[in-house]
Amino acid sequence: MLIPLSWLKDYVDIKLPLKDLMWKMTEVGLTCETTKKVGDETILDVEVTANRPDWMSVVGVAREIAAIQGTKIKEPKIKDLPSQTAKFPIDLIPNFNLFERWSAIVIKGIEIKPSPEWLQDKIKFMGHTPINNVIDVTNYVMYELGIPMHAFDYDEIYGQEMIVQLSKGGEKFTSVDGLNYELPKNAIIIKDSERLIDLAGIKGGLNSGVKNSTKNILLHVTIDNPVLIRRASIAMGLRSDASAIYERGPDKGGTVNSLNRAVNLILDLAGGEIASKLIDLKMEKFEPKTTGLTFEKLEKILGIKIPDTEVVKILARLNLSPKKSKIGVSCRVPTYRGDIKMEEDLAEEVARLYGYNKFPMTLPTGRVNGTKIPFYFDDSLILYIKNLLVSSGYSEAKNLSLISKDLLTKFGINQENNFRIINPISLEYKYMRVSLIPSLVAAIKINPVEKLQLFEIDKVYLKVDRKAAEKYRVAGIYLGGDFRNFKTAVELILSRLNIEEYSIEFEVNKPYLHQTNSGTIKVGGSVIGEFGEINPVVLSAMEISGKVYCFEMDIETLAKLSKFKTFSPVPVNPPQIEDLTLNLPSKTRVGEVIKTIKKLESKIINVELEDIYKDSYTFRIWYQDPKKTLTNEEVEKIRKEILSSVKAKFGATIKE
Amino acid sequence: MQEEIINLKNEAIAQISGAKDATELEELRAAYLGRNGKFTLLVKKIKNVPQEKRKEFGMTLNESKIAIENLLSDKKQELIKSLSEKRDWFDLTIPGIKSNLGHLHPLTPVLKEVKQIFNYLGYQMADGPEIESDYYNFEVLNTPKDHPARDTQMTFYIDTEGTDLKPLETILRTQTSAMQGRVMEKMKPPFRVLAPGRNFRYEQVDASHGFEFWQVEGFVVDENIHLTDLFGTIDYVLKELFGKETKIRFATTNFPFVEPGVDTYLQCTICKGKGCSFCKNTGWSEIMPAGMIHPNVLKMAGINTKKWNGFAFAIGLSRIVNLRYQIKDLRTLTTPDLRILKQF
Repeated sequence: MLIPLSWLKDYVDIKLPLKDLMWKMTEVGLTCETTKKVGDETILDVEVTANRPDWMSVVGVAREIAAIQGTKIKEPKIKDLPSQTAKFPIDLIPNFNLFERWSAIVIKGIEIKPSPEWLQDKIKFMGHTPINNVIDVTNYVMYELGIPMHAFDYDEIYGQEMIVQLSKGGEKFTSVDGLNYELPKNAIIIKDSERLIDLAGIKGGLNSGVKNSTKNILLHVTIDNPVLIRRASIAMGLRSDASAIYERGPDKGGTVNSLNRAVNLILDLAGGEIASKLIDLKMEKFEPKTTGLTFEKLEKILGIKIPDTEVVKILARLNLSPKKSKIGVSCRVPTYRGDIKMEEDLAEEVARLYGYNKFPMTLPTGRVNGTKIPFYFDDSLILYIKNLLVSSGYSEAKNLSLISKDLLTKFGINQENNFRIINPISLEYKYMRVSLIPSLVAAIKINPVEKLQLFEIDKVYLKVDRKAAEKYRVAGIYLGGDFRNFKTAVELILSRLNIEEYSIEFEVNKPYLHQTNSGTIKVGGSVIGEFGEINPVVLSAMEISGKVYCFEMDIETLAKLSKFKTFSPVPVNPPQIEDLTLNLPSKTRVGEVIKTIKKLESKIINVELEDIYKDSYTFRIWYQDPKKTLTNEEVEKIRKEILSSVKAKFGATIKE
Repeated sequence: MQEEIINLKNEAIAQISGAKDATELEELRAAYLGRNGKFTLLVKKIKNVPQEKRKEFGMTLNESKIAIENLLSDKKQELIKSLSEKRDWFDLTIPGIKSNLGHLHPLTPVLKEVKQIFNYLGYQMADGPEIESDYYNFEVLNTPKDHPARDTQMTFYIDTEGTDLKPLETILRTQTSAMQGRVMEKMKPPFRVLAPGRNFRYEQVDASHGFEFWQVEGFVVDENIHLTDLFGTIDYVLKELFGKETKIRFATTNFPFVEPGVDTYLQCTICKGKGCSFCKNTGWSEIMPAGMIHPNVLKMAGINTKKWNGFAFAIGLSRIVNLRYQIKDLRTLTTPDLRILKQF
């Protein structure tokens, strides 16, 4: 909302320097961080919160500034309504569900012409183009007092009747600015005896609008149903100053005063005479309501005792007419403050005018609950894995959860599995990811490097049992290194979480992984995740060259399988360590060979792959008995068992 | 016999003086003074020495042993000293071999820090769904369907086809405040909750707006919670995060789910309040919206408002990261470029 400073000064003396004024306004909730200059005029740009329709007007803002300063505002001088001198018939047929209040009057014999300079300036300051003396007055009074109003060409109201009703949907409507619309269902419209003449609360109709030739007008001020206005304006993508006011709910008690203001201005600027009674159809009286606040409640909410007299003073500055009793105050809330409904609302009024920044600061003194809260989340495992990956050379990425169909297609992911956004910002961000891998691979394109290690830990969004399942995953990609170096991090995570009994199956169901060079990590029946090489077909679609390895594991499964390790005392007797070089047939699973050797005998405490040369694999084997030092004969016996076992199982022969 | 001692002593002196290292020295010590050492064996020969010469023999033997022990100890010191003198010169300025360590994303340490601060204040962490219902995201927060406050939180809708989720009621959460109702309806007060996470709003992407951003929601419900407690908590947390000298100011604002409503401004950490492009020349950065929980929210969750009340706040985590590292473009955080990530 734009507020020209000179206009504001018509109603309130501003004592504060501009910068201080802007901060004080912000402090009480009327956020004002910027100003702009139009010629010599300074215009404040204020952000009006959803609860304060009264601030959508210059007088409303003036009232707030007066309250801040503790001064009085100079209300605009509105003359009495001149007496009726002609009688033009008009029949308004109300519907209080649509218009809670409908105030109207007919003026005859006006002369349409350009507005005087002072009025034109004000309209320009508000960012609009002046049109003529009648339309400019309606806009002027809306900006001044905060209730939208509209002028009709009386002679274009066929049958001299106006019926407010809901649109059926599909009606054609041409607005006063000549644009064509098709109306949605349930927009508030006004019809005369033959035609649709107004899209209420949003825009007037071209057919009934004020033209240069207009001689007689009907002026009305309505209080429209905020929900219906909001729905229709969103559906049509048509937000106007008026609709913004209606959505917030303007001053139901102020229609007649606004009408009165506009009539007097029009009679001054365009001539004419009153040609109907003042019509005022209303659902109820719309008078100030009474709301109370006890001092006890105020102190409980605020945490400090503001002296009772101070409370009364503050509420009086806000025109809330406080009446003090022993236990509290009773306020008469003006109709323009529809936001004040309960004690908490009044407490906020006191607190914000007292000054939030004058409050002392305390910390809650309540109890700390030992019970775990619902949705309790311990992310220490996630942090631990992040640190393991960083120490393995991976850097942490944060990718968007929303991705494009294009990316899914390139990765061969069936979009049926992805949650889809109905109203995406663009096609780039239409699907919710089911894997962290595609975005990580896509990151290769923005990194002009030969070696890249990236990881991410975050949620993927799955459809499980016809519901949404959000699962934390850890995934990494590795570009520019060999497979064994890549695999280090995968093994590191598993071993540091003490998940030892896992198996690797040479089978994956991920379309973006290479069919044979990738596999699944399992413990018993639970799948921890997948790892291996990205399918070159995918990489070529992504226009990425080179080999990319990747892994993705489920955090919840890792957490479930992770075990506490128990301590083993350091054996007194040293181990015997020897290297054993075996010739293995091609495609032998070396991991299985190591597992077989380890499981053969409890005295084999460790087996590691030391070296590979062509088809010879050197294994380093640690033999140890916690109770005694093993003799050469005992070791030899175990070695023989190893050799016969790997020969039988893998066809391994000892290297001569 | 006397001569034998002297000869042995000389032999020992010659050998010890020529020793090259500590190991050799130790071997020599054992050879002369050990349990089966040459001097030890000599001691046993004392019974062959005539009575009148035994005293002299004993004294000479002892003196020799002491002399050798001293020599051993001097030689050991000498060897240690020469060991450090013999080291080659090397260049202290030569660079070390680069480690292959990666980098954490800046959100990670900042969130960790935020959590630590709140753990200290007795908050527990909660994690909730991002695919959320309109009910928890809005309705339960006193923001019915046609409330104009929804304008500031334009929403993404999820296609629910093929699921049991309610069409048009299933959205991506626009605020971590959605966790308020979820926790409150399941647990009796008192509680202190911290709920970090990703949020989504239908906003065109530019330097200061992203449609995905990170927030940390916090809320407390107890028997006697005051506005001053909220101010104190915000002050405590921001000073922990940005330092004791940090300047903070509060302003009134309106969210349907709080009353009174509070907005928190942090003096721009970049220009120290002078005004810069980062704070749009205001000198202040809006950082932590908050307020006393609206009684309607508590009532919706079945909490007796006569007994319990509380406060809630949201911290813009992305904003804190940006202020901390002086990042001007929000999109930086979701760009996985090593040239960016390496800096953290």
